Amino acid sequence: MKLIIDGREVSAYPGETILEVCRRENIFIPTLCYHPAFKGQGVCRMCMVELEDENGNRRMVASCTYPVQEGLKIVTFSAKIDKVRKNIIRLLASRAKGSDYIQDLAGQYGVEPLDLPGLDNEKCILCRLCVNACKLMGSSVLAAVWRGIDKKISTPYEEAAEECIGCAACYEVCPTGAIEMKEENGQRIIWNKVFNLVLCQHCGKAYATEEQIALVERKTGISLPALCEACRSQNLAGRLKNFSG
Amino acid sequence: MKENNVKEKGCTKIMVCCGTGCTANGARQVLARLEEKLRGNKNFEVVPVLKATGCNGWCEKGPLVKIMPEDITYCQVKAEDVDEIIEKTLLRGEKIKRLLYRDPQTKEFLVSLHQTDFYRKQKKIALRNIGEIDPASIDDYIERDGYKALEKALKYMTPDEVLEEVIKSGLRGRGGGGFPTGRKWQACKKVPRFPKYIICNGDEGDPGAFMDRSIMEGDPHTIIEGMLICAYVLQAEKGFIYVRDEYDLAVKHLTQAILDARRCGFLGKNILGSSLSFDIELVRGGGAFVCGEETALIKSIEGFPGEPRDKYIFPTESGLWGQPTVINNVETWANIPVIILEGGEKFASLGTEGSKGTKVFSLVGKVVNTGLVEVPMGITLREIIYEIGGGIPNGRQFKAVQTGGPSGGCIPAQLLDLEIDFDTLTREGSMMGSGGIIVMDDTTCMVEVARYYTNFLAVESCGKCTPCREGLRALLAILTRIVKGEGKMEDLELLQEISEVMQEASLCALGRTAPNPVLSTLKYFQDEYVAHIIDRRCPAGVCPELTVFEIDAELCTGCTLCQKNCPVDAITGEAKKAHIIQQDKCIRCGECYRSCRFRAVKVK
Repeated sequence: MKLIIDGREVSAYPGETILEVCRRENIFIPTLCYHPAFKGQGVCRMCMVELEDENGNRRMVASCTYPVQEGLKIVTFSAKIDKVRKNIIRLLASRAKGSDYIQDLAGQYGVEPLDLPGLDNEKCILCRLCVNACKLMGSSVLAAVWRGIDKKISTPYEEAAEECIGCAACYEVCPTGAIEMKEENGQRIIWNKVFNLVLCQHCGKAYATEEQIALVERKTGISLPALCEACRSQNLAGRLKNFSG
Repeated sequence: MKENNVKEKGCTKIMVCCGTGCTANGARQVLARLEEKLRGNKNFEVVPVLKATGCNGWCEKGPLVKIMPEDITYCQVKAEDVDEIIEKTLLRGEKIKRLLYRDPQTKEFLVSLHQTDFYRKQKKIALRNIGEIDPASIDDYIERDGYKALEKALKYMTPDEVLEEVIKSGLRGRGGGGFPTGRKWQACKKVPRFPKYIICNGDEGDPGAFMDRSIMEGDPHTIIEGMLICAYVLQAEKGFIYVRDEYDLAVKHLTQAILDARRCGFLGKNILGSSLSFDIELVRGGGAFVCGEETALIKSIEGFPGEPRDKYIFPTESGLWGQPTVINNVETWANIPVIILEGGEKFASLGTEGSKGTKVFSLVGKVVNTGLVEVPMGITLREIIYEIGGGIPNGRQFKAVQTGGPSGGCIPAQLLDLEIDFDTLTREGSMMGSGGIIVMDDTTCMVEVARYYTNFLAVESCGKCTPCREGLRALLAILTRIVKGEGKMEDLELLQEISEVMQEASLCALGRTAPNPVLSTLKYFQDEYVAHIIDRRCPAGVCPELTVFEIDAELCTGCTLCQKNCPVDAITGEAKKAHIIQQDKCIRCGECYRSCRFRAVKVK
């Protein structure tokens, strides 16, 4: 199907969101809660764009959740959109005073954080990418809990969760460095839980937790060689070379 | 005490209002006493039938006891009054004057509830049965044409004809959004996927609103019948009633109603011999305000946290478990049987151009007759507050009326003649919402009102999207500093700007309307904000940091009432001589200001 984005005709597939089409077409839309591995969440509202109807009336929608339709007319930048994005950054910067990433962003957008009695040194912006990553890894330990201004990311009852495998996918995906993880003496501490790290047989690098490997083995039914990602690729490449002669 | 005795022998019916308000005031004790005294009472040829009904709406005067067919209503009845009622009224046919309502203007004693100003202006459709039937009895419902609309639809109308009738009625969703109900059903009917689901939204969460509660408690079968009629249109087989768990009596009566409807063949397979098969399950909500938002409610039924989603695809296409779903509010469902039975045109003859029929409002706050009223759309606020509501008590001045629940707005005195419907309220910066009307007098601080509702929303919104969550956090912080006397004039611009972003970019209707309390008070009562910021003074004498009370020695009669009411003994003075407030002791609670009958206590 055809869409018109900023006056330009663009093709799209049914089922795609406006944001997905724009990413493919290299049309810039800023996002904080979007990651190509997951479905659009409509949480941060940075990706707001305007839709224009035949009479020229515009309304704002979140591009990461809006499904494309034939002939949709989309405006990805306007004074109104700019104002919304600036204010969202300003609100997030007022919340996450402890996040360098968000404070830098506020600088780039030219906005000052509000002088509000804030959360102490908060880094989290509640984008929920960690929740999505945890779910995709098969643990679903993390969730956005409570309501309203008390909302936060937590494990059940804020305790060390039995199902947590310490994979640190949440830590990796977090854009603001809000998740704390410590690695020392062959152990990883994350979400109030201590994990033993497994060392790569080949290079000796700590590459996963015992629980992580156990989960993968249980799910796939395959016993894995104790190799880190780099050594596993090397190993595989070596075998393929022998195979092709 | 069988129901059919009534008709055969024309015996007396005594109906005790057991709505939540009357129950809180002791209606159950009245009922128990009546039961005890009437059972096997040898003085009667035919013992009167005793009924516990749902809410009559006039909670201010409860517990109410109605005696039929004489149509006598006794107000504020206590268990101690029961013997006299039996002795005088039931046995001798005399009326007990002290229990009758006395019109405050004409000083006339009114025998029937229906003669009072509170009732005369009302037009009951959704509430037609409430107070007239025992909600636990399916027979009572059937006796008042219950399930007749279902029979008419199933036997004499095609699903399309039923839909046509609902469209013709112009009925719009009573839960807040005001979406045309017929068009919603039509959109769902067009989707060629099955199964389809039907949901009744009974998650009423607005502070001070109890219209849905009253219907669920007082006439549960009308909801079931409305849903059945929709099921016939959509060929749906399964419905859910989502009710908040705190509504104990509603849960009880709905459970009973579903069981009775199944027993009588109104729910189940091949209903009334037709091809329609439909059943209803009760889902008890955990009491989150945001679950009243339909997509959050659907999530909650599915077992997930109640958080709304972007509604770019409507539930009519993808709702419960991704299936086409029609979700309507309790009051909307209660209108459906009447529309089918009496025709869409008749319904559409009531109301305004864009909003047809009636609307139930819960009238609370600083008004003489608090309670539940059902009035035609297009009635003015003045009629509701002054004619039905009886005006402002204690001779105070009307200041504003807050409509539409916490994310509604405040409407000032100059708009009292506004003919209210969905569109006019939205135009003036408030909304219909589910129909809450909170009346405020001149002892109300509008900045504090804005802060109160913003605080409610800040903890009751879901917290999913940035503009609503962080916007509310910012609004609350700014309003809090203004009521503490730490505000700056720039704060007003900031409030405006944050509000606008919330309106533009929030995910759901809750977030988009959440700044209404701030915006409407800024629009109509900006001078109060300015007084707080510049003069460091709360004109209504509410905000403790900004209030100083003093007694006007000229006006003070030395009645000592303020002295008695002062919780910290800050008022000194002899009887019949002017009193003085000791400012170092005063905690600015406003007790003296509100209790003084001579307006001698002033806000400095």
